[in-house]
Amino acid sequence: MCDSPRDSRASGAFERGRHEIRTGRRTLLTAGAAGIAISTATSGLPRAAAAASAGTRRRAYVLVLDGCRPDEISPTLMPRTSALRDGGLHHPRATSLPVMETIPSHVMMMSGVRPDRSGVPANSILDRTTGEVRDMDRPEDIRVRTIIERLNRNGLTTGTVLSKEYLYGIFGGRATHRWEPAPIVPVSGHAPDASTMEATLAMVEEHDPHLVFVNLGDIDRMGHSDLTGPLGVRAARQAALAATDLQVGRFVDLLKSSGRWQTSLLVVLADHSMDWSLPHQLIHLTPVLEADPLLAGHVTIADNGGADLLYWTGDPALLDAAVTRMRALTSAVPGVLAAHDPRVTPALRTGPLGGDVIVYARAGWRFSDPDQWSNPIPGNHGHPATMPIPFFLAGGHRRVPRGVTSSRRAATIDVAPTLADFFGVGAPRGGYDGRSRLP
Amino acid sequence: MIAGGAGAAALAGATAAAARPGHETFQHGVASGDPLPRAVVLWTRVTPTAAATPGSGVGPRVTVAWEVATDRRFRDVVRRGSVRTGPAGDHTVKVDATRLRPDTAYFYRFTCRGETSPVGRTRTAPARTATPTGLRFGVVSCANLQAGWFSAYRHLARRDDLHAVIHLGDYLYEYAPGEYGYGRANTDIRPHVPAREMVSLADYRQRHAQYKSDPDLRALHARHPFIVTWDDHEVTNDAWRDGAENHQPAEGDYAARRAAAHRAYDEWMPVRMSGTAATGDGTRLFRTLRFGALAELSMLDLRTYRDQQAGTPAPSPVPSPTGGTDGTITGRAQLDWLKRRLRRGGPQWKLVGNPVMIAPVTFAQLPHDLVDPVNDVTGLLPRDGAPYNVDQWDGYTADRRELFDHIRDQGLHDVVFLTGDIHSGWACDLPYDASTYPLGDSAGVELVCTSVTSNNLKDITGTPPRTSSLAVEAVIQTNNRHVKYLDFDSHGYSVLDVTPERVQMDWYVIGDRADRRAGSSWTASWATRSGTNKVHAVSTPVGGA
Repeated sequence: MCDSPRDSRASGAFERGRHEIRTGRRTLLTAGAAGIAISTATSGLPRAAAAASAGTRRRAYVLVLDGCRPDEISPTLMPRTSALRDGGLHHPRATSLPVMETIPSHVMMMSGVRPDRSGVPANSILDRTTGEVRDMDRPEDIRVRTIIERLNRNGLTTGTVLSKEYLYGIFGGRATHRWEPAPIVPVSGHAPDASTMEATLAMVEEHDPHLVFVNLGDIDRMGHSDLTGPLGVRAARQAALAATDLQVGRFVDLLKSSGRWQTSLLVVLADHSMDWSLPHQLIHLTPVLEADPLLAGHVTIADNGGADLLYWTGDPALLDAAVTRMRALTSAVPGVLAAHDPRVTPALRTGPLGGDVIVYARAGWRFSDPDQWSNPIPGNHGHPATMPIPFFLAGGHRRVPRGVTSSRRAATIDVAPTLADFFGVGAPRGGYDGRSRLP
Repeated sequence: MIAGGAGAAALAGATAAAARPGHETFQHGVASGDPLPRAVVLWTRVTPTAAATPGSGVGPRVTVAWEVATDRRFRDVVRRGSVRTGPAGDHTVKVDATRLRPDTAYFYRFTCRGETSPVGRTRTAPARTATPTGLRFGVVSCANLQAGWFSAYRHLARRDDLHAVIHLGDYLYEYAPGEYGYGRANTDIRPHVPAREMVSLADYRQRHAQYKSDPDLRALHARHPFIVTWDDHEVTNDAWRDGAENHQPAEGDYAARRAAAHRAYDEWMPVRMSGTAATGDGTRLFRTLRFGALAELSMLDLRTYRDQQAGTPAPSPVPSPTGGTDGTITGRAQLDWLKRRLRRGGPQWKLVGNPVMIAPVTFAQLPHDLVDPVNDVTGLLPRDGAPYNVDQWDGYTADRRELFDHIRDQGLHDVVFLTGDIHSGWACDLPYDASTYPLGDSAGVELVCTSVTSNNLKDITGTPPRTSSLAVEAVIQTNNRHVKYLDFDSHGYSVLDVTPERVQMDWYVIGDRADRRAGSSWTASWATRSGTNKVHAVSTPVGGA
């Protein structure tokens, strides 16, 4: 299961936020009638030397419809989002990239580079410094400069409105203005879309950042827990899609009513897709690995929904033999699609933190380790079946094509270069792995 | 799009030239096929002496020159060459004209012994990295010459907006006169030549020659490049790997018959078999043609490698299969190849030229009296057996499951199966689980063109169009909720339009097949929007009705 909330880690992120405020590095402001709490980093404000850049009227907004499938954006189910897509530049071939989980996907969007460069390959990894499996929810987990910092350094202001606690955690104090998600839904660890959009509108109206990065988490959360998903009914999921569509509509309405539309670029996409499995289609790798004389006691699994990351913790000299054994054994487990060695599958680009073997589930299956009760959630992602994502550019800025569909490939890593192109800021050393989608 | 004026003029010129005396050398027209970004196959057949008739095995070896130009008057010849042909190859000529420009219309012609062939037009595919805004194809199947005139071909030849014509099989039929013709009485509108079921190499060559003598087919070949695959009748009815329903022991060794059929096909069709335009170097027909980043077309061969149909009486000493549906329709190598072609990193639309239907279709609940006529059209419906057509993918469910699982596991979208064989028009979703659909997802869509002439349901029941068939269509759609469109009554052709937004098929129907001047009219359009894997109705055809 992905995105599993862990109270201690979530509170850690909040603790860091509070610490920043207490130490004077951030200023807690309230915005809007609802008293939305937005913290502002004093160090992130435009410098005088960059005043010229800050004067631009251009605005960019990245709306992440967390976990949304491309086929779910239909005129009947999501009329506002559908109309937004049809009026802009649509990339129907867009995909998420490994590992198709929330945290690495959002980092790829904002960094424009793959995990072997950003340092963030998955939601959950084995931290070899502590020997513990943990979520990648720490600001220092991102090892490259994101487009947020790049814009800040050019004198532009940025904002993050991220509904999930661990996203709030990993993006940390990077943005000029940051909303601390609230109220948090118990168990899911995210703020409802209505609250997230309220905060987004407040941030735009009160602070008007040049870039606002928004994660709307309801579609994903309702997908994970929708027990009717495997049957194809998806009742809760469909209700969430319709509700989130209203929030997208509210945002577009604000841009148009406030006169921002004509100068705005919207990038609307998902971080990954969603797949559902029946309760009996579970994959248990632990008993298989523990039954092997070489591997027993020397493999740690980081569970990432439809992808399991396997780490060899035994004698480093035996790594090659262990990888070979792990791949052979796990490939034969029913429900496993493939077991990859990232060192010889360069397309994965998960880097050294991403495990020695990556095991993917087939569609309709999910991992559950160490036992069958470990993952009761029907909706999952992380495996190739969940790669397709909606991805389109919208907005009234003259650079946004009108009513165009492209047969070119697109991916999460294209967001940062698109924003860099839009604002005219540079690329990281070594260039972006993605490409600007602006013509 | 192809420039209208030049194209129409070229076709008119070609027709006029063909009608003039002095062109007897080129009695079977010209053709092109398998367009690549920088190459296209050019074809003709020469008759250097009166005795050098198709299948005769006599006549001199001759040199045939060819030219490719950007203009119909051949003032700007960009490629030329010459080849030798003779009786060993039935005096056919196949050339792979290379070093052409991508996405470009060309004119071509041949000369032999001072005579010049009709002028053909062709078009190369877009460059591999190009992002075309659109592609348009004619789509046809099941052209039985005895059953009527090829008006569908004539109307397609008049269109000026096609990149190519996709022929999904049953390009010709094996039957003798009187065996399979027009309507319930099997009247021969035009009797087959030779006047016997084709079995020998000479038979197959003569039959190909007869079809290539048809003026409508010749016009279509001269006008657009073809992308072809075969179904069963290019060899004989309900063929499988080691036999066929219409192959009897008295007709000799089936492998030898099939080899003869394949050889004649290789000689007479503008196609690269085993990857080359050379003849006799292999018979692998499954292959891929790419059209930039927009589409890739994978043409299947579902006859050469398939196991015997379940439940079919064994026509040969080969043991009958178990009666289950776990046999292969593709063969292992072709299925692995197709799975490699259906990949995320390839072009957007993954079109599959699929000779027989892949959508699961149960014919359960059909009115008892209509089982036989439906069976005549669709193939192998046992009267009291499994209510599905075991000659289609329904008879080979293990292969279909593996293919659909691959699509689902890899998260693929925009897979479109283009199908013929069943003499009727269909538009279907392809559910992973038809029993619960529309709950659950679809692997893609299937668009089925109807027959050019081969009998359909109304022809067999002898009822007027849109009468008795309506009940059958309603029952089938009620029991198969993923079947969104079904027309069991019409003959004609389809036009497939591909854009980044969607793929749309328009169905056109012709009038009476017995009328060599039958008209054509648009009847329906269905499309699939990118990313949806589902079909929806469209109110207007592309390019005008």
